[in-house]
Amino acid sequence: MNWSLRFPLCTPFLRGEQPACSCYFDFMSSANPFQDPLRFERRVPECSVVIFGANGDLTRRKLMPALYRLAYDRRLSAGFAVVGISRTPLSDDQFREKMMEAVKEFSEDTNFDEDVWRAFAGGLFYVAGDISDPGLYQRLAKKVCEIEKARSTGENVLFYLSTQPSQYAAAALGLGAAGLNRASNGWRRLVVEKPFGHNLESARELSNQLHQVFDESSIYRIDHYLGKETVQNILAFRFGNGIFEPLWNRRYVDHVQITAAESIGVEGRGAYYQEAGALADMIQNHLLQVMATIAMEPSASFRADAVRDERSKLLRSIKRRNTPDEILANSVAGQYGPARIGGQDVPGFRQEPGVDPNSRTDTYAAVTFFVENWRWAGVPFYVRTGKRLPKRVTEIAIQFRPAPLAIFSTNGDTGGPDGAPNLLIVRIQPEEGISLKFLSKRPGAGMNLRPVSMDFNYGSSFGERSPSAYETLLLDAIIGDATLYTRQDMVEASWAVVEPIENVWRENDWHFPNYPAGTWGPKEADEMLARRGHEWRKP
Amino acid sequence: MPTVAPDKILKQLADLWVSTARQGDGDGGEGVLRACAMTLVVLTEESEDVSTLGETLAALMPEHPARAIVIRLRGAGERDLAERVYAQCWKPFGQRRQICCEQVEIIASDAALADVPSVVLPLAVADLPVVFWCRSPRVVQVPEFRELTALATRIIVDSGAFPDPVAALQWLDEAVKRPRPLMADLAWTRLTRWRETLSQVFENRQNLARLAGTVQVLIGDTGAVTTRAFYFGAWIKDGLESLRATVPTIRIVRSPMPFIELATDGFKVRLEREDERLITTIDNVAHCTSLPLPTDYLLLREELGIMRRDPVFEKTLSSATRVAYATE
Repeated sequence: MNWSLRFPLCTPFLRGEQPACSCYFDFMSSANPFQDPLRFERRVPECSVVIFGANGDLTRRKLMPALYRLAYDRRLSAGFAVVGISRTPLSDDQFREKMMEAVKEFSEDTNFDEDVWRAFAGGLFYVAGDISDPGLYQRLAKKVCEIEKARSTGENVLFYLSTQPSQYAAAALGLGAAGLNRASNGWRRLVVEKPFGHNLESARELSNQLHQVFDESSIYRIDHYLGKETVQNILAFRFGNGIFEPLWNRRYVDHVQITAAESIGVEGRGAYYQEAGALADMIQNHLLQVMATIAMEPSASFRADAVRDERSKLLRSIKRRNTPDEILANSVAGQYGPARIGGQDVPGFRQEPGVDPNSRTDTYAAVTFFVENWRWAGVPFYVRTGKRLPKRVTEIAIQFRPAPLAIFSTNGDTGGPDGAPNLLIVRIQPEEGISLKFLSKRPGAGMNLRPVSMDFNYGSSFGERSPSAYETLLLDAIIGDATLYTRQDMVEASWAVVEPIENVWRENDWHFPNYPAGTWGPKEADEMLARRGHEWRKP
Repeated sequence: MPTVAPDKILKQLADLWVSTARQGDGDGGEGVLRACAMTLVVLTEESEDVSTLGETLAALMPEHPARAIVIRLRGAGERDLAERVYAQCWKPFGQRRQICCEQVEIIASDAALADVPSVVLPLAVADLPVVFWCRSPRVVQVPEFRELTALATRIIVDSGAFPDPVAALQWLDEAVKRPRPLMADLAWTRLTRWRETLSQVFENRQNLARLAGTVQVLIGDTGAVTTRAFYFGAWIKDGLESLRATVPTIRIVRSPMPFIELATDGFKVRLEREDERLITTIDNVAHCTSLPLPTDYLLLREELGIMRRDPVFEKTLSSATRVAYATE
């Protein structure tokens, strides 16, 4: 049985909707008439992604599983392609085989579907070569051109630098020399992984080199922390609700604690880690960005640059400490020593493979920051991070000031539950969510108060799988949304805060190791808070 | 005649929370977290398999926690009304605390339907949306339907289950024109992933440039023509018309697997379901993505996330109604 749908010639409501202006036709001819923003995910343009460092850990563990998941979820265009670049000679098929193994091994909550993989793998290509070799870029240009013709990827290419940081500039300049940074009828973007320099000067130098080839608007500095659902939810929580913003200031907030704790050690990355350290590896980028998100002023809109302007402004408002005494009074470095955890001997940092036995690298860093603006003047932001702490947890705890009069305490005792502070806790990992702790009367006779927790848990409240940070950020870069990416001025503002601390720490005589593995860090970090009458939470 | 007192049900719900919390404490857990984002009223026939419906509701609760009121229609017979209250709980993986939602089941004969609104009204959770999911096409025909759904924020029906697709579209189109409640149709929801994939094809500028030259549209359906085909056809027609393109005759053919095919001179796009996959073929280059079968859970999950007017649906419905008339 075949049916034909015959359309009535008269469609008055459609005609009524059409504006009379002549530009209407041009607009409509370039707009996809099948869009349904209420139900469809964001529009994703056709493109190819070129990954420098395609044999590296990041590509295998994060990038390829994220891209495969996006393909699995129908988020990528049908002709989407990936070109892997690395020195090892591989055929396209060998590269596909390696990537399939990586996807199978590192996709955490995605079923491996043979048919979806086959379709996805048809768009994987490989070009072998040395980043410093100009010939590589000629071969790459040829490959990109072939892919454009065969898979209709337009002229849109996202270059992803997943290499050693020392190769960033060479790769960018190589792309520029081959003319791959420009497209007459499409876009070219560059994604750069951290670290963005190792101090303010090198960060500026790197930016200058990248800017020789790509505009700042085409450079996407990735900070995967900003791609996490809960970090994005901070913006929704703060600026989508009217009830919290009036409390979000020095009048009601006593202090803020930001913790990023790892229970593991350096896990074979000792050689890399001892060059970086906790302060540069975590606080300079991830945690200062998180702090900026928590403390920034509301932006005028949710446009990328409006949000990033506010983040940048906040970073520039962080009080810079210049004298060694000031810095040492407001920061603590730590390094873990050996310990026995759960019946198992755990090595200290200096005993880890590849680590100098006299290493002075910080595996723990705690810093007290102050923000010099009207909203936050005088409110300490305590930021800490470390390896081999008791558990893996990343969270932000906003501690509110106590009620002005403790009418329920007995004998003037404010240390009991009556004195327990209101806390708003934003958990970034592992169980993403938000909790509000407040006091409630215990049922029964007497006015006994106890703290209770009101919890919002991402996993249980929405049930659905949250996209990984790399899925979010890769898609954002393809779409051209830089809201969650770091801008040059933000990088420089962060280094301006962190570099003086690093310089003083380098000269200071730390008695490393100063905390045993499996504890919450050196006692000096506790003392730093105690001087202001505070103590670290034990998340 | 048996009666149901809303106060009694509310008391039972309150008692339920106390006992569930005690049980949670006793298990060495961390108590019970009560979650509610809406009132979900399900209108279904008593003959329907209650366990299948229960599984669907249980699956929905983590994402759309709700006070669920299941009204089971007994059909003809004596005036009869009965109720049951229970909790739907789950423990997220790796957590000790249970999360629970309330469920109330009301069984009503057709003769007692007039009594149901006065029971449902006080049971609706204050300040939250009330969604009616009408699983039985018969219920929309009963005289009490308008009164029963008067407090609804949104009504979800499945026109695919209606015996006459043209009449179903006409009924929906009239309902949509009223300011409240908002209407949704699961036959339309079933098309979302198809529409999204087709739309994605035309995010490509080269493909988009060819769209206006479409000379053939084929819609493959597995059985008799349903509202699904009318929706799909009308949606494509609206899209082509917005490009000021000449809309070709859209043909619906019977096929072992659902598909959609658009062709221009020298360019063809075909989307075809194969089990739980969607094969997109553009100019003979095939691309495979996952496309789970549209279960009630997946359809409701999508619809419960929308609590505002759906302009694309409303426009397509209006077109589909006119297309269906013209085709009759």
